[in-house]
This record gives sequence, C-alpha cells and structure tokens, in this order.
Amino acid sequence: MQAKWGKSKSWTVLLSVLIILALVVSACGGSNNKGSSSSPSASASSSSPSSSPSASGEPEPSASESSAPAEKVTIEFWQRSFEETTNKWFKKYVDEFNKSQDQIQIKYTLVPGEAWDQKMKASQAAGKAPEVYTMNYGGIANAAKLGQILPLNDLMDPVKFDDIYDNVKEFITAGGKYYAYPKLVEPSAVLYYRKDLFQAAGLDPEKPPTTWAELLEDAKKLTGKGVFGFSTAQVAGDLGWSSWGLQFGTSGHEALTSDWSKADINNDAYKAVFKFYQDAYQSGVMPKQALAPYPDMKPYGEGKVAMQVNGSWAIGQLRNSYKDKLEKTGIAPMPSQSGDPASATATLGGWTLVVDGKAKHPHQAADFISYLLAGDPAIMIDFFKTSGFSKFSARKSVDEAMKSDPDASKDAWRALIAEKIIPNSKAEPIYPWDVSMAVSTGIESAMKGTSVDKAIEKAEKTINDFIANNKLAGTNPKQ
Amino acid sequence: MRKSTWTWSRIFTTILSLVVTGITIFPLVWMGLAGFKSQEEVLAAPLKFFPTVWHFENYTSILHDPLFQKAMGTTFLGAITFMILSVAVNAAAAYAFSRLEFSFKKFWWVYVMTTYFIPGFAITITSFVVVSKLGMLDKLAVLILPGVASAYSMFFIRQFYLNIPLALEEAALIDGANRFQIFTRIFLPMSLPPFVIIGIGAYLGYWNAFVWPVMTMTNENWFQIGQYIFNFRSGRVAEMHLLMASSFLAALPTVILFLIFQKYIVANLKMSGLK
Amino acid sequence: MFKKNFRHDNLAAYAMLTPILLGSTIFIIVPFAYAIYISFYEWGFYQAPVFVGFKNFYVNLTDELFTKAIWTGLKFTLYVLPTQLVLGFLFANLVKGLKGKFASFVKAAIYIPTVIGLILAGVIFLFIYDYLGGLANYVVGWFGLEPIAWLAEVRTALPAITVPAIWTGFGITTLIMLAGLLDISESYYEAAEIEGAGTFGKMRHITLPLMRNIILFLLVTGFTAQISQFELPWVITNGGPVNETATPNFYILQHFLNDVLIGRSIAAALMFFVVLGAISLVIFKVLNSEKAVDG
Repeated sequence: MQAKWGKSKSWTVLLSVLIILALVVSACGGSNNKGSSSSPSASASSSSPSSSPSASGEPEPSASESSAPAEKVTIEFWQRSFEETTNKWFKKYVDEFNKSQDQIQIKYTLVPGEAWDQKMKASQAAGKAPEVYTMNYGGIANAAKLGQILPLNDLMDPVKFDDIYDNVKEFITAGGKYYAYPKLVEPSAVLYYRKDLFQAAGLDPEKPPTTWAELLEDAKKLTGKGVFGFSTAQVAGDLGWSSWGLQFGTSGHEALTSDWSKADINNDAYKAVFKFYQDAYQSGVMPKQALAPYPDMKPYGEGKVAMQVNGSWAIGQLRNSYKDKLEKTGIAPMPSQSGDPASATATLGGWTLVVDGKAKHPHQAADFISYLLAGDPAIMIDFFKTSGFSKFSARKSVDEAMKSDPDASKDAWRALIAEKIIPNSKAEPIYPWDVSMAVSTGIESAMKGTSVDKAIEKAEKTINDFIANNKLAGTNPKQ
Repeated sequence: MRKSTWTWSRIFTTILSLVVTGITIFPLVWMGLAGFKSQEEVLAAPLKFFPTVWHFENYTSILHDPLFQKAMGTTFLGAITFMILSVAVNAAAAYAFSRLEFSFKKFWWVYVMTTYFIPGFAITITSFVVVSKLGMLDKLAVLILPGVASAYSMFFIRQFYLNIPLALEEAALIDGANRFQIFTRIFLPMSLPPFVIIGIGAYLGYWNAFVWPVMTMTNENWFQIGQYIFNFRSGRVAEMHLLMASSFLAALPTVILFLIFQKYIVANLKMSGLK
Repeated sequence: MFKKNFRHDNLAAYAMLTPILLGSTIFIIVPFAYAIYISFYEWGFYQAPVFVGFKNFYVNLTDELFTKAIWTGLKFTLYVLPTQLVLGFLFANLVKGLKGKFASFVKAAIYIPTVIGLILAGVIFLFIYDYLGGLANYVVGWFGLEPIAWLAEVRTALPAITVPAIWTGFGITTLIMLAGLLDISESYYEAAEIEGAGTFGKMRHITLPLMRNIILFLLVTGFTAQISQFELPWVITNGGPVNETATPNFYILQHFLNDVLIGRSIAAALMFFVVLGAISLVIFKVLNSEKAVDG
C-alpha cells in the first residue's frame, strides 16, 4: 500500500532530481576537467614538453646542486600482462633500472589483460593515468589525436629513432611525430604444418602450399583419423584482426577507402577472401567448432590438426609446451590467393611504450623508455631469447647484435619469418574496431552458409551505416 | 500400503537429491582435480578426469606464496566487514520502509529502488572518478563502502518484514517501546534467515569481485583474492592449472563456512515460522 | 495508531535511512548523474568533452546489433528464468522432506556453483562444450552421434550458454524457495488434508499463494540478473556465432572496451536501464495488481 511502484509523482520528482544532479555534476565536471588538464600541464608541460629540462617542477633543494642527488622522481609504469616470460623480463629490467641510477624510481604495476581497459580508462577519466604504459601499434594514432600520449621527438635522443626499421617507424608516427617507442613486432599469420603427416599423406614435406587452392587441396588429403587438415580463425572476434593480412594482400587496400568515407569491400578481391574462408570451413577440413581461440597453438600441439595458421608467438608455445612436435614441424608463410611470395598475408602487431599526455615528469618517463627499449641491445636480446625467438626486433642494431648471438643466428624459423614474412606484412589498420567486426561477421556468416555476395552486401551496408551514423568520413588521423 | 509408498518416494527423493547434488558439486571436484594437473593436461582433449601425474607442487607453491596468504587474509577481513555493514544498513532501511510512516516515503522508495536497475557499466568510470576525488583509492574502504547500500538486499529483507504480523509490535508500542527498540528487540532476532542469505550473497559478491579491485587497488599489499587468481590468466596462454588450483583454494573456505552455517540456517529458518 | 506516531516515525525513519541514502547517493546516484551528463558528450579524457546532443543515443538506436542484443537478452532470460524457478521450486519441495545430516549436505552442496561465480562457471562450461574433448560431446558419443558444434551453431549456441546460467542460480533459488516453504505453517496443510486436498491441490491453494512475495522477489531479481548477463557470453562464446549470443551488457562491454571515445557505451547502458526499468515495472504491476504486497 505505502510503497507501490509507478506512482507518477515520485517518478517526476526523481527525474527532476536526476536532471538537476546531472546539471550540477556537469558544472563541476566541466570545471574539474579544465582544472585537471590545466594543473598538471602547469607543472609538467603537456603543451611544451621541452621547456624545462628538469621538468619535475619541484623546488630544488638549494643546498648543493651537483653533489647532493636531486629529489628522486617516482614514475608510475603499468604493464599489461603478457606471457610469463615477458612479465618476468619487464620486472627484471625495472629493478635493474632502479638500481642503475638514483634519480628516477619506477613504480611497476602488472595489470591483468581482462581489466586493462577499465582500469586505464577510469584512471584517465580521473586524471590518474600512469606516466608510462604499454600500448599496441593499433592504438597509437587515435591516442595521439586525442592528446592521450606525448610525442617523443623532444624527449628522446633522435638517434634512437634512426635505429628503428622504416616500416615500423610508420606505425608509431602520427602527424609527423613519433608517439611511441616500439618493443617488438610479430606477424599475425604463419603457417605451421606437420612434416610427418605430410609424408604420410603422400605430400612433400619440404613443399608447403603457397596458394589457397593448394592449401585446401593439401588439407583435404591431411584430414582423417581424428586429425583435421587445417585450422585458422573461425569466429568473428578472431577473424576481425587475423584476416587483415589476407584482406590487404588480396585487394591491395583496407576495408575502408583511405578517407574513411565508405566501405571498399564490394569487389572481387574481398569476395575471394570470403570465399576462401567459406570453402575452408564447408569442405570439412576444419573443425566445425573452433578447438581453441586463434592465438592458441593447443590444437596443433595436441596433434589434432595437421596445419594451423597462427601468429609468430605460437613458436614460444610450441617450444615451451609441445616439445614433442618441434622436430616434426615446418613453418611457411600463410599462402596467398595468387601464390606471389610478396603478397601480404599477415599484419604486424606488436607493443610499444608511451608517455602519458598528462605526465608530470615526461623527461624522466622517456629516460626509462630509452633505457629499456632503446638502450643496450643486450636487454632486448635477453627478451627475444627468453620468448623463444617468437617475436621480432623493431631495431636494426638489435638484429645486428643478434647475428653474433649463437642461439639467434642458428634459429632457422627466426630467419624464415624475419626474411620472408615480416618484410611483406602490413601495418594493422587503425579504423574503429566496428568496421573490422562488420567484415569478420560477414566472413563468419559466409562460413556458416550465407552466400558470399549476400554476406559482402550486408557487411558493406553495416559499415556504411556506421560511417554515416558516426560521421566517420574524413576523420582518419593518419590523413 | 501407505508405508510402502512412503518408502518408495523416500528412495526416489534420495536418489534424485544425490543426482542433483552430484551435478552441482561436480565443478568443485573438477577444479580441485584440475589443480593437480600439468598446464597442458588441464586443457587436454580427450577428456581426462584424473591427472596422470599428481602435481602437488601446484597447491603447495600457492599456499606458500606470501601474496596468496595476504590476499586471503585481507579479502576475508574485507568480506566480513562488508557483510556486516551491508546487512546492518539494508536491514535498517528495510524496517523503515516496511513499517514506518514518514514524509517523502514514496520518493525515497523510488529513489533507492532506482539504483537497483542502474547497470554497472554505466557507472564504472564515473564511480571511479568519485572515489578517486574522495581520496579512497588504495584503501580497503574503496572495496567496502561503494557496495554497501544495496536496493536488492533492502528489498529482500523488506519482503520478509512484510510477513511479520503487525500484532507483535502493536503490543510493544502500547508498552511504550520506541521504534529502535522494536527494531532491535523484535525484528532483529527474527531476521536471521534473510540475514544469512543476504550476508552470504554480500560475502560472495565481495569475494568474487575482480574488475573493481583491479581498478582501485594498485598496492600489492592490499591485493584481493580475485586479483591474485586472475594474475594466472595473463595474455594468450593461461596458466590453467594454477588458475584452477587457486580458485579451488579460494572457494574452499567459503564452502566450509557454508557447511558449518548450514545447521544454523536450518535451525533459524524454523524459528522464523512465527508459529 | 500510525498517525499518532507520525512525528516519532520521521525521526526514527530518517535515522535508519541515512546510511542507505548516503551510500546510494554517493556511490550510485552521483556517478549515475555524471554518466548521464557524459552520455551527451564525446570524451577522450585529455581534451575538453565535445557536446554532441543525442548523437550517442541515435548511434545505438540505429545499430541493428543493439536492438538484436536486447532481443537476445530477453530470449536468454526467457530460457533461464522459468526453468530456474520451476526447478528450484520442485527441488525445494523435495529437500523439505529430507532429514538429518544428508539434508544439510544437500543444502550446502547445491550452493557450490553460486560460490564459484559466473566467470569460473563459464571457464568450466567452455571445457564441457569443447568440440573434441568436452563432456557434452562425450555423452553425445554414447549414442553414436557425430560431435555437435555447440558453440558454433546458430541454433545451439544461446541454449548452450543458458545451462551454466541455470546451474549457477539454481542453488540460491532453491534455498530461498526452501526458506519460504519452511515458513508456511504445517497447520495449513493439515487443515487442507482434512478437507481432502491432494498434493497438487495443496501446492496450488496453499503453497503458491503463500509464496507470492518470494516468487515476486525471485522473478524481479532473476529477471534483472539474467538480462544483465555478460560474463557467460564473454567467457564462452564472445558473443558469437554471428552475434547470436551478444546480450545487452555484452554489447555495452564490447563498445566500452573497443571504442576510442567514451559516451556511446554509456548511452547504450542508459537506454538499457530504461528498458530494464520499464519491464521490471510491468512485472511489479502485474504481480501487485491482485493484492498489495505489503501486509
């Protein structure tokens, strides 16, 4: 009686309270935002990073500038959690860095992947983001455009950037400036195949397929007795990024026109890509349900598939967890439609370190990056070694130094990927993920029985609607 | 005749209960066993229920990890505090809404109930901004206070209070008792059944939280058990054996508590019958 | 009587309400109001937010995946909730008849899935539905059938993920039902038995009417819990195949994680709040129409 729902009066009152609150908060929020973006820049200089070299902004203890160490600066550093070996490597060299000098103390936090975005976005909203953090190539252009990260040109020695391979340089550039320092690159697609099963099926184990037609033909011969011939991404979420390489290699362009004004997928090349996935799935050479997520090498490692497409990182997993398969494994570039070895079938993903746009001590933050990623090649070699050479250097000097490293130089897989796959791989597109998902949802529906033409049309419409609704045209930050 | 049907139905009841219990208990057993496997074997197909080699070190390494011990301790402390606070706060409100007449009652009722339907995602970021402005980050309070006021718990307890006959308190009112006395002396003693259910819910909600602790706690010393467990799920390949072993260890105290509490619940459920 | 104590009540009531009102205001209503404000903006955190009016709402409304997600959420709830209530009710009746240590054990055991939590339940069911090594296809194999692609088939994916949802909520539903059952005085049943009512008659005329408050509670909370589901699609299917298991909160989560600008996902969450509130209101109204809930 007293407490029934739907009393319209209460609702009206509540609604007005909410509106008033929203207005009040908006007033505060507005001023807070101004406050929080101006106060750190006063001390740190997001507008002019190079103005004061000892940018800490704290009053120097006047006593003696030379002998007594300046007040120690603490830098927050967040690392997204990766493989155990990578996490250990970060921790080890953060400790080394802290010991190596007495000006800067790095406060290191390992953040689980599942919570990264929430934690990062919330801290950014509250103006509490760490000064240094990990970021993948795909995120750089947008973050730079929004002012979330600082250009590093004036914070780091320019020589450090000359050391980076030209194609990788492009990944970290926005508006003519470098916004990140790369740690590694890894191609998203490499073909792993079982030499012993090739032999058993009457195929030449030294001649992996180079075209899609060959691939599907071989897969058919390899399928049977509890083994599937072929495995690649088969759900939209995985296809979204793992098919970028094939999309680009086949069509020569991305799914959007370069000014982001409309979808560019209703053409023969994209249809061919859709058809390839459809054929692979429907011919029965692939399992009907993914045996594991795309980046997981488990199905191959357990001997359930004869050929699996996976990123270069899978080498690490093979070497650590499925040693019995190492001897029997061959690797090759993922086949392309035409068989042209220069045709892209993979994208280059990878991770970098960036300096936050509101960093209070941008110079010290950059000093840490210089030490860790751009310093002594031995530090990076240690990383590549512990990761089983499943990741690749973005720096010439590191590769140069690795030539004299006995483990690295005799690693045939490393050589093949470095020479035959990486040079032909493409940068990850930076358009919104929705676009990639529209394409990959189309691919998945084609695999599940929709005709290729229909799937393409649907995806095209979805993308064009998305562009119109979000006013995407002309917003490409790289243009 | 009558006796035999009773027996049959009893056998049937027992068997059915056993089957259902088996199904519900399966994951715990499975998790516990998976915790003894090697990393590859947890995920291995075809299905293997028992480990081929028993890796006791999975459990001992976790049990000896000071971070695990600390996380269990602080999480337990937080969960108990959270449980007590949320029962107290919401029971008081439930009493006010079910029994008292006061000004703007309808408004406040709608006000509180509205919070129940606000999806968590909508306010993740803005809640974080609020707690960070209040200077609560990296303090245990940030894990406890934000969830205490709960329309769900309040509504649940209120449903129980509505079933308590008015006659009881009318007598007390005539004897000159005030509202607080009625609440503490008449309602609270009868409230154990809803308190137990709400309390356990609050305790579990706190115990299983993951994203919020990760967002608000950076200090390793205050890590919660959920944070600890999910550190085993990093990047591309999860350390499933350790994830399972630590999840099992984390669930164990709760299950044991529940087994102990069980008798208590049954006893108190009968008390609430108000015969 | 109440009228006479009105002034007393004000003091007592506000004293008892202060904690919940403070808590709700600081930690829910204020962030909520702030979120409403943000939903009218595009905000990248490091530059002043740009006011975009209703654009964020419009973008969601015109996205067919958003409407599809609402339908998926409703379908999911429709599969889970009735099953859970019926199973819980039946099993509570069964458990009520059990005695001694065994009864205690059963009551504790059925609660275990709830203790474990949805994320881990999702992980466990991911293994159960594994194409080659999973328990589900192992059982299918007994009947000599080909393995089923539970999570990849459009037809089976959504029903498949309802199972862990039913399973995790089963214990708490049963226990709450049981609490309600034990509250019903035996004398009612004895009286009905004298009048010659059978098991079914007793259930219909005594048990169900007396359990109304509890069933109402379970319906409303179960409805919001199930339609808010995102953990299971997140862990098990990632919304697939072809968006078939993308529930509203999963949709919101995806945009929250992947969008460069915040605003759209918050707008989606607010619209979902409106839908959720409206439906819950209808449930309340329908159930309250026969007789006021309060005694």
